[in-house]
Amino acid sequence: MTYFTKAVSLLLLIALAGCGSLQNDIDVPLPSYSSELVVECYLEPGKVPSLAVTTSVPYLGTVLPQIPNDVTVTLTMPNGTVVPLPFAPNYRALIDTTGEKFYSHIGRDPLVARPGDVFKLDVSDSKGRHITGTTTMLAPIAIDSLEYKFNDKPGSERKAYVLIGFRDPATLDNCYRYQIHKGDPAKGALRRSPEVDNSVQDRLFNGEPILLGTSFRFSAGDTITATLYHTDIAFFRFRQSVRDARSANGNPFGQPSAIYSNVQGGIGIFSVLSSTQATKVLR
Amino acid sequence: MFFKFFTPYPLLLLFTVLVSPRLAAAQEAAIFTLSGTVRGARNEALPGASVAVPALGTGTAADSLGHFSVSLPAGRHQVVVAFVGYQQLIRDLNLTKNQRLNFTLEESGNELDEVVVEGSVTLEQKLKTTQMGVEHVGIREAKLLPALFGEVDILKTLQLKPGIQSGGEGTSGLFVRGGSSDQNLVLLDNALVYNPNHLFGLFSVFNSDAVQSVDLYKSGFPAQFGGRLSSVVDVKLREGNRQRNVATGGIGLISSRFTYEGPINKGKGSFIVSGRRTYFDIFTRALNRANEDDPEYSPIPDYYFYDLNAKANYTLGEKDQLFLTGYLGRDIFGFNSTGGFDFNFTWGNTVGSLRWNHVFSPKLFVNSSVTISDYKYDLTNKLDQFNFGLGSRITDYSGRTDFEYTPNDRHLLKAGAMFTQHKFGVGRLDANSSDGRINFGSDINYYGLDGALYASDNYKASEKLQLEGGLRLTGFSSGNNQYGGLEPRASARYSLNDRTSLKASYALMYQYVHLVTNSGASLPTDIWYPSRLSVKPQRSQQVSGGVSFLLGQGKYLLTNEVYYKWGQNQVDFKDGAQLFVNPELDAEFIFGKSWSYGNELYLEKKSGKTTGWIGYTLAWSWRNFQPQRGTLGVNNGTDFHPNYDRRHNLTVVVLHQLNARINLTASFIYTSGNLTTLPLGRFGVQDIPGSGNSLDPRPVPIYPDRNSYRLIPYHRLDLGVVYKIGSRLNQDLTLSIYNAYNRRNAYFVFFDTVKDKATGRTTGFQAKQVSLFPVIPSLTYNFRF
Repeated sequence: MTYFTKAVSLLLLIALAGCGSLQNDIDVPLPSYSSELVVECYLEPGKVPSLAVTTSVPYLGTVLPQIPNDVTVTLTMPNGTVVPLPFAPNYRALIDTTGEKFYSHIGRDPLVARPGDVFKLDVSDSKGRHITGTTTMLAPIAIDSLEYKFNDKPGSERKAYVLIGFRDPATLDNCYRYQIHKGDPAKGALRRSPEVDNSVQDRLFNGEPILLGTSFRFSAGDTITATLYHTDIAFFRFRQSVRDARSANGNPFGQPSAIYSNVQGGIGIFSVLSSTQATKVLR
Repeated sequence: MFFKFFTPYPLLLLFTVLVSPRLAAAQEAAIFTLSGTVRGARNEALPGASVAVPALGTGTAADSLGHFSVSLPAGRHQVVVAFVGYQQLIRDLNLTKNQRLNFTLEESGNELDEVVVEGSVTLEQKLKTTQMGVEHVGIREAKLLPALFGEVDILKTLQLKPGIQSGGEGTSGLFVRGGSSDQNLVLLDNALVYNPNHLFGLFSVFNSDAVQSVDLYKSGFPAQFGGRLSSVVDVKLREGNRQRNVATGGIGLISSRFTYEGPINKGKGSFIVSGRRTYFDIFTRALNRANEDDPEYSPIPDYYFYDLNAKANYTLGEKDQLFLTGYLGRDIFGFNSTGGFDFNFTWGNTVGSLRWNHVFSPKLFVNSSVTISDYKYDLTNKLDQFNFGLGSRITDYSGRTDFEYTPNDRHLLKAGAMFTQHKFGVGRLDANSSDGRINFGSDINYYGLDGALYASDNYKASEKLQLEGGLRLTGFSSGNNQYGGLEPRASARYSLNDRTSLKASYALMYQYVHLVTNSGASLPTDIWYPSRLSVKPQRSQQVSGGVSFLLGQGKYLLTNEVYYKWGQNQVDFKDGAQLFVNPELDAEFIFGKSWSYGNELYLEKKSGKTTGWIGYTLAWSWRNFQPQRGTLGVNNGTDFHPNYDRRHNLTVVVLHQLNARINLTASFIYTSGNLTTLPLGRFGVQDIPGSGNSLDPRPVPIYPDRNSYRLIPYHRLDLGVVYKIGSRLNQDLTLSIYNAYNRRNAYFVFFDTVKDKATGRTTGFQAKQVSLFPVIPSLTYNFRF
């Protein structure tokens, strides 16, 4: 039996090795592609408004991000004031590893925003490309509970899961994105990649309490910070379409997805981040 | 409201109009009816067997259940009963009254006939029938042809016929004359099979030891069939040997089969039980065990599938016979880790049918059946203390009755009624934690009622002209939504001479249930959704015409058919549609139209040591989905081809009997490549603050119009040898070589990211083509004791 097992295993290994050669480099003559402006703008109350304007490129084109320098950006405040955001790119973010985000345009004064406030964005370049967008700040949703529970395993295998609880408003089409970061917020932990980053919508539990959990992945002594973003359906769909488009490349069963932007005239997302946070040290 | 579609009056009226004058005419002549069945020695019905009286130049062919009925003048006749692969039977009889005779044909001892491509009808019968656009494959034919991994698959054999495409490399999905794979009505002994595939479509659910034959209708649909737009795939199971107990089976590269059959109550009935199971999992478990001490090794999940078929029949008396059929098949995929992550995924069909055949008179008989069809998938996922389950199910309970009446030798009348109750479980989700803190569930179910009445007449107007007309009245109800429609069917054959026929047909079809899928492939998670709310029934019409020539002293039949098919309310889905557990799923549909047209050329040879066929199809398929429901439609409302549109399709199949022990087979296929969607552009997304740095974001592809890139042409040569062993030639070794010249056909193409090994940074992008199967030899041992 042992010989049989070894023989079969060997055959399988040969078969699997053979499968490797079933993937080949090929030349694909793609038709020409006209690049578009791409905007990412996440406004945050209390922070100076900024955004990144780049351009899309042919898929097999240059690797480095294309940052146009002829783009004019204005932000219209809820009271109608038009605030220009000058071109002042922080190129250092493109080589930063601490979580700093790149922006190409930035304003001067911190943003004042309240739930219900409507902001408008206008982006145009010298080639006639023109992006507009409108977004409304949603009310932050309070985190009702942030709890954890350890398993019964010894030593380094002793891990805890985390539960984050909140209540969905009675209105439909509320969406949430929740992140859990590990580490000290004062030392920049909240800028780094989170341990957990998921999105949900209230399609199946509208108006009900929601409890979301993680796997057993946190250790005693960890400082965890839960951030709950209340987003609109447009932001949710944008992220979903980005995910679907990425996963369709290389997936023979995937259906390629168009990108669902919430701006007009180009590609991108314009949103006011409305979030609440809770921090806890696991003991 | 729903029942208004089923008032019997229109049907009765039609029936009366068709029958009355013919009955009167029949009574004027001294004509009697010879009726009965034609079966093989193992009690298998022989659909298409000819029952002829050569001296009168008349005859008929047995129907799908082996029944025949022919009107003859009183007197002495010599009746010749024949079927390919069986010994011809000649019987003298003196017809003085209506007479019922059951013919039993012995399998031919002549090995030459073993390699004859088994067809339901002879080439001459094919020439003369009004039915066009039908393909028949017998299991003996399928078993001779080379197969992937040696797994004989009757649906894949159908893909070698003109007008029938596969979904992709190695898959058993059928795309018929521009229709999608969910537009095929797949029947197993009258019971609907919702998902006829195992392993994402690589194998069909039909065990070759249990299947007798399959007929695929792609146009000129008989009125007794309905409910799908593109084709009817009518699979018949074997009925078991009435003479003696027989065990058959096979041991193959990836699966084994075993079948046992025999008589019931001294030949009053028979049974057959058949099972098949793959053993990937035995090998992968062995591999996992061999590497369990390697911390870098990722265990391979368990996967296997199995099928169980059973069928029994019993003759209650001279006029009554019962048939009981059951099928159970499951795919099981599981992964149980030591790290707290368990994943189990099970899917499959359960099908059952009970049929009662009653002969009222030599001219009239009825088949009544009740069936159950069930398809479900269950996905359970356990991560530490959290459990997550997802599932879907569709269950049908159906009943139907079909009358067949032969008033004289000019008419064959059929009429019937059917009714189905559907339960659509379109989404079940449950999530909970072991401590009870999380407990959430959702279960979305819909119900539907489906019914139809039909009547048809095959009318032999003259020796040259034969007409078939039918009308099908269908209706569907789900919740407060009711739909219905009349489906006319018509076909005609005109013989220019003994060797040339012209044929034409028209059919209108409705489809009331729809497959919810966002993938071009057949996935077990695809769910069925009823016509309700904004989702209207799909509808299609098809006209086709053809000419057939009998050539080479009747050895060859050359057929050319052209068709045009157009459909309304075709369904697709919004980009990013949320298909799982969505209580408002109907909002995710978009609707459009389709049209397809093509020419199918087919040359076949069924007799002699060398048999086979050559088929060539030139075809176009189109779809159009205008901007709607908050979307841009598909491709901004412009016409586009579905991904299975293939301009050219050439198949060559050759079977040659070298001697009594050795059969050689070869099949070659060449088709235009599949259409696919490749990204033209890309951009980067940094995401919100707190989601990591901006270094080297993963590219987001920008896709242009759907299906705008055609993959390289697909071609493949398969070779096979069947070597019979044993003194009674009751065992064989079957060698199959799939993809004999190791062609790297494109399964899909994607753009890979090229990274610098030292820094991990992206340095470029490279298009890659992935192929699925290289040359695959396989050896199967088959036995029959």
